[in-house]
Amino acid sequence: MLRSVAAKTLRDQGRALFFWAVGIGSLAILYPALWPSFGRNSTYSKIFEQFPETYRTIITAGLGGDLGTATGYLNTELYSFLAPLLLLIYAVTAGANGIAGEEERGTLDLLLANPVARSRVVLEKALAMALGTAIIGLALWLVLWVGVRAWNMDVGTGNLAAATVAAVVLGVAFGSLSLALGAWTGRRGVALGVTLAVAVLAYFVNALAPVAKVLMPYRPFSPFRYYSGHDPLRNGLHAGDMGVLLGLAVVFLILGVLAFRRRDLAA
Amino acid sequence: MTSAVAGPAILARGLTKMYGRHRGVLDLDLEVRPGEVFGYLGPNGSGKTTTIRLLLGLLRPTRGDARVFDLDPWTRGVEVHRRVGYLPGELALYEQLTAEELFAHFGHLRGRIDWPFVRRLTERLDLDPARHIRQLSRGNKQKVGVVQAFLHRPDLLVLDEPTTGLDPLVQEEFQRIIREEAAEGRTVFLSSHVLHEVEHLADRVGIIREGRLVVVEEIGALKAKALHELELHFGGPVPAAAFAALPGVSDVAVADSTLRCTVTGSIDALVKAASRFEVVRLTSHEADLEDIFLAYYGRDEAEGGGRSAG
Repeated sequence: MLRSVAAKTLRDQGRALFFWAVGIGSLAILYPALWPSFGRNSTYSKIFEQFPETYRTIITAGLGGDLGTATGYLNTELYSFLAPLLLLIYAVTAGANGIAGEEERGTLDLLLANPVARSRVVLEKALAMALGTAIIGLALWLVLWVGVRAWNMDVGTGNLAAATVAAVVLGVAFGSLSLALGAWTGRRGVALGVTLAVAVLAYFVNALAPVAKVLMPYRPFSPFRYYSGHDPLRNGLHAGDMGVLLGLAVVFLILGVLAFRRRDLAA
Repeated sequence: MTSAVAGPAILARGLTKMYGRHRGVLDLDLEVRPGEVFGYLGPNGSGKTTTIRLLLGLLRPTRGDARVFDLDPWTRGVEVHRRVGYLPGELALYEQLTAEELFAHFGHLRGRIDWPFVRRLTERLDLDPARHIRQLSRGNKQKVGVVQAFLHRPDLLVLDEPTTGLDPLVQEEFQRIIREEAAEGRTVFLSSHVLHEVEHLADRVGIIREGRLVVVEEIGALKAKALHELELHFGGPVPAAAFAALPGVSDVAVADSTLRCTVTGSIDALVKAASRFEVVRLTSHEADLEDIFLAYYGRDEAEGGGRSAG
């Protein structure tokens, strides 16, 4: 685990990754467990159907959400907000720690005194961030896979995987933004703060656009549109959407590398 | 492992680094020959660390040129780093690793490591490589920093205040190691804010002051001009006149049975003159860099901001 910058970075994340996986797994198991009480033919799901269309659209952030079906229930409760949010927070934190975190702790000096190019360090940090996010996504998927079977929910394994992969890829896109901002500014707080602000804005543009028509022209600029636009839990992965998110990540990383190669390292 | 390049190990021409409007280093002209131990002296904040970080390609020069083995460290950093071992002045290590793991990690990044040498080095410095770095004392962390600079037996060692936090016995061992490396033809660039840390090691010394290199001198010539402040306590009153005219002795002040004076270079004449009286106690302080500098150029020029030298 010390063979490369990426492997060592993941190794450093070991304990945090474990607790993230346990935490997100414990949270996720609640949703299949509560399916009989809040989904299916429960009173709650019937009340939810009486809610105004507008409210339901906002709550499900563009994902098809009727609590009566297993897919609609998981979309509404988990994949519209909580799952992508948690994966995004992990990815953004790991991204900000990548360059800016090491720079603020002062360890970047010695790392870059080794014969490794700055561009390679940025890309290995990105790889570690993406793998870490994928590991948490895997934990989420495993727990849901078990839960869906245990509580007889009609959701396909592949569709569950598709929705989880989409959330991971969304997280990686934002994680790349925070890594790039950290590589550019050298400041962890800036990378975290700006990226999370952008994410919140992007989330609301996407979620509110159907009801606030003034936002509709901006919806294509929200990465969340490419996460939920084709409802991966219902329809599987959409190649075009994933292409946009991964392309975004690549653009952020290229800009991050270019900025990082041009600047002084903080002492 | 001597340098294959016949040219200088380090070359700076008009090297300047500004941080906004604050100076880092100004118009630095410097040449360090392959195989030499070069002491880089200056008070804190004079630009030593800035120079070193320019040579490592961690900073981009505002203007002027830096060359390490004829390569520009800013554009050819990877090649430069392959041949350079670096100990930062403000050492920050991966605290979560053991020393051994840190060496292994950097070893993987570097490719080739002289492991038997690394083991000998950790033993000589009395460093336990199996402990986590966060558990180590400041001095032991510094040892980790020293060893990692040697991992790949580099042609050039760039060491920024290397003896910080090391106890005197370890400092002596460190000096022996540096001498052995130099004897094998390696180049050592050693920064310090005190002369005595480098005077037993360096072939030549450069003194930097307020961002400008003010003098580069063979160590012997510098020491010949070094100042000592002496205080002698006698058994009874002594005449100032017995000392005032001695060669190299100045600022003579006698109060009752105590003599205070400043000596440039050897204190031989003073000691011999003093031996005619009953000497109770003798104390000597090595002058600091600023005083050496003042003695070197005289007060007027010093306050005029010094001058660059090559």
